[in-house]
Amino acid sequence: MQPSGLHPHPAQSSSSTPADVLVSIAERAGQVDRAVAQAADELLFPTVPDGLALVAVGGYGRRQLFPFSDVDLLILCQNDALPRRHRPEISALLQKLWDSGLRVSQSVRTPEECLAVHEQNAELNISLLDQRFLAGDRPLFAALSKQFPRFVQSNRDALMRNLVRLTRERHTKYAGTFYHLEPNVKETPGGLRDFQFIRWMEQLRDADANRVTAPDAPAELRQAFRFLAGLRYALHQQAGRDQNQLTFDAQDALADNGAGKEVDHWMREYYRQARTVYRAAQRSLEQWDAQSSALFAQFVGWRSRLSNSEFSVHRERLHFRAPQQLESDPGLVLRLFEFVGRHGIALSHEAVNQLEARLARLREYFDEPRNLWPPLNQIFSQPQAPLAVRAMHETGVLFALFPGLEQIECLVVRDFYHRYTVDEHTLVAIQNAWAAPEKYGELLRELPQKGVLLFALLFHDSGKHASGAAAGYAGHVEASLDAAGDAMRRIRMPPPERDSVLFLIRYHMELSVAMRSRDLADPKVTHHLAEIAGTEERLKALTLVTYADISAVNPSVMTPWRSSQLWRLYLAVYRELTRELSEERIADASAGPGAELLEGLPVRYLRTHSKDEIAEHVALAAKSDARGVALDLRSLETAWQLTAIAADRPGLFACLAGTLAGFGMNILRAEAFSNRRGQILDTFVFADPTRTLELNPSEVDRLRATAERVVLGKLDVRELLKNRPKPKPLSRKGRVPASIAFDDEASATATLVEIVAEDRPGLLYDLASAISSSGGNIEVVLIDTQANRAIDVFYVTVHGRKLAGKEQSAMGEELRKACTPE
Amino acid sequence: MKKIEAIIQPFKLDEVKEALQAIGIEGMTITEVRGHGRQKGHKEVYRGQEYTVDLLPKVKIEVVAADNRVDDVTRAIIDSARTGKIGDGKIFVMDVIEAIRIRNEDRGESVL
Repeated sequence: MQPSGLHPHPAQSSSSTPADVLVSIAERAGQVDRAVAQAADELLFPTVPDGLALVAVGGYGRRQLFPFSDVDLLILCQNDALPRRHRPEISALLQKLWDSGLRVSQSVRTPEECLAVHEQNAELNISLLDQRFLAGDRPLFAALSKQFPRFVQSNRDALMRNLVRLTRERHTKYAGTFYHLEPNVKETPGGLRDFQFIRWMEQLRDADANRVTAPDAPAELRQAFRFLAGLRYALHQQAGRDQNQLTFDAQDALADNGAGKEVDHWMREYYRQARTVYRAAQRSLEQWDAQSSALFAQFVGWRSRLSNSEFSVHRERLHFRAPQQLESDPGLVLRLFEFVGRHGIALSHEAVNQLEARLARLREYFDEPRNLWPPLNQIFSQPQAPLAVRAMHETGVLFALFPGLEQIECLVVRDFYHRYTVDEHTLVAIQNAWAAPEKYGELLRELPQKGVLLFALLFHDSGKHASGAAAGYAGHVEASLDAAGDAMRRIRMPPPERDSVLFLIRYHMELSVAMRSRDLADPKVTHHLAEIAGTEERLKALTLVTYADISAVNPSVMTPWRSSQLWRLYLAVYRELTRELSEERIADASAGPGAELLEGLPVRYLRTHSKDEIAEHVALAAKSDARGVALDLRSLETAWQLTAIAADRPGLFACLAGTLAGFGMNILRAEAFSNRRGQILDTFVFADPTRTLELNPSEVDRLRATAERVVLGKLDVRELLKNRPKPKPLSRKGRVPASIAFDDEASATATLVEIVAEDRPGLLYDLASAISSSGGNIEVVLIDTQANRAIDVFYVTVHGRKLAGKEQSAMGEELRKACTPE
Repeated sequence: MKKIEAIIQPFKLDEVKEALQAIGIEGMTITEVRGHGRQKGHKEVYRGQEYTVDLLPKVKIEVVAADNRVDDVTRAIIDSARTGKIGDGKIFVMDVIEAIRIRNEDRGESVL
């Protein structure tokens, strides 16, 4: 049964790519032409003289037959009855071709069927773009090919729409990226199918009533096509079948053939070529979007209004107004990406080319250490930051900025689960963090430093190239830390942010290891992780990094099961952190000079404050000893901070919160601790919405003096609040329902009261007063605000013990009233 | 032949796998599952909101073994999966009527 020589025999032929693959695939089409004609002469045409023609379509039609591709054969019949009548002859022909080793993919159609739009079978319409007469009734074929251009012209939109739909579906199937570790050279984005797509779109666009032709592709694309075609040819030879996936094994074999090149380098060449094709395909898709929908055009028109003096938005693409400005002002490039991140508008192809032409200049500019963190932080904190970073990657600007990242460009790390190259994995992880669903999305919204999170994700695997067998996992993390450290020094990132980035990179595997191999119910495990995280803020960021990193391994790895495992771990560590806060106190600080202040403060205090801050607090405490109170009021970069140390008395925290509210200040964060000597250390970070303090230096002194008098009991805070204007109620949409929960288990010594409520000026004062007035003593306070949602946690005792049930319900009632004042 | 189905704590998976491999069991099926036995769910408070955690993440291991290996297999699982605490899981053993290798239609214990 084996073939009459039509099949190239894998064992005989060399597995290397022929000198000119295009000649080889055309030759093969020629061979098949002859075989088809011969078989038809023998079996078909003696009995079917007229009304039937054999037509080559698809890849066969354009004379591109790879060793084991399907042979697309159209059996064109004058009418429906003909194929029925001659069924035995047609079957005999197909059987003969099959027996000779050809995989014939035939369709039997009338000319009318060839000239109708097939919504369900768009492939048929498309395959006819490459029609070529083989044998039989020539006038029948001539009539079809005469009518075909007019058909294309009048159905252009439907045909293009179907083609675009098929292409988008295919891209989605491959997660819209060409950076696959084991790509399919035909189907993966940037593969041969995309090359044809570009060509077909041009054919459809340019068709007139008389002919359908395809213009020549640009040299760059032709070269990419030749490269991919060579690969497909070699894959077929190697496998002895229609095998188009560039598996790890195939990569090894082919790279070895290519003069002993390293397989990694060899694959980088693949990605370079696939990128050329993918970009062109994207351009073609965008062109279609731009012309296809009136609604889209309106939207695009609206977006044009976003244009400013440096950039213009035209047809939903971003352009430089004066690209030559990049020469004198390379910082323009960062503002460009900020624009992308803010508005989610992609770069125009012109802008991409203009950037690429100036990469050397940009590299030179970024090579000097500069204060680049503020503009980068701006880009990284935008709602569409992942898009901006992807654009930076695509244009090469990312590598100009951070040459250290070049090590992971198109880097293949082989393992069973990973689907993408390391750089693509990194970009996908960033996307995942920004698009995290539900509870994880909440974590992102609560993070004050999104730029730090993004920076850490960008570098988390930057040392992956160093993870040889010897270095292993630790080696990769160390190398990533080095790369991030260098980059952060060059852009002059401030030390606290640097610490956060290094923390996230160092421990980016910690939670996933714990999820897999630790007993989450074991207090030792959660205690260890709480110690590593140190604060809720870091725990949140680390949880998000873990979520984003795991889900960027491949699209199906973050199962609901894993997601809930990770969340369970997060909750356990979060609870451990809050438990520690109230229970674990600094027992013995005899070594230091500040022992009197420190003893009895939560252990966490030491972790969340720098040495300098602690020294300042110790100095402040000394002042307080003399006067009963000491205050420090200072301006931070974007907010103000009030630190107070005083002898504790009931309602003190409420008084301070009330004083700030009385001055019209908006409290963003607060913490309150007390030590063994009955001293309180309260810190408030607050916004000054009307810039009173900034514009009137005398107000700073007045606020400090007033707070002091309130603390010492010389002034009633209620007097201050009497004259404040009542806040306007928010619209119904922005309403946050108040929730108040008591938790007796979180701490051994106090009852934890968690309050989530709509934020408003004076809320904290009202809540703290409600607790004090119902007899509660506030031991520890943590206050946070997200948009208009206040999240307040109080550790409360009554006479030094937890609250009884009755006390809880009474206090709950008071708190509820405080949340919804009338 | 018997099928041994074990529901275990997720973090014990690697140990159990190793223990099974050590006694010569190569083939197994592993599924991420959720459920609860006597270790009922509980309530957790996060940020003032209560969550009921009633279905806990577990891992299910399925092994089919010859009758004379069942004790070895269950012993290996028990020894490697036990922490002594509530929630360690359960093992179920059931009869298997037939085993067929799809590739060549081999039947019986030789398939295992």
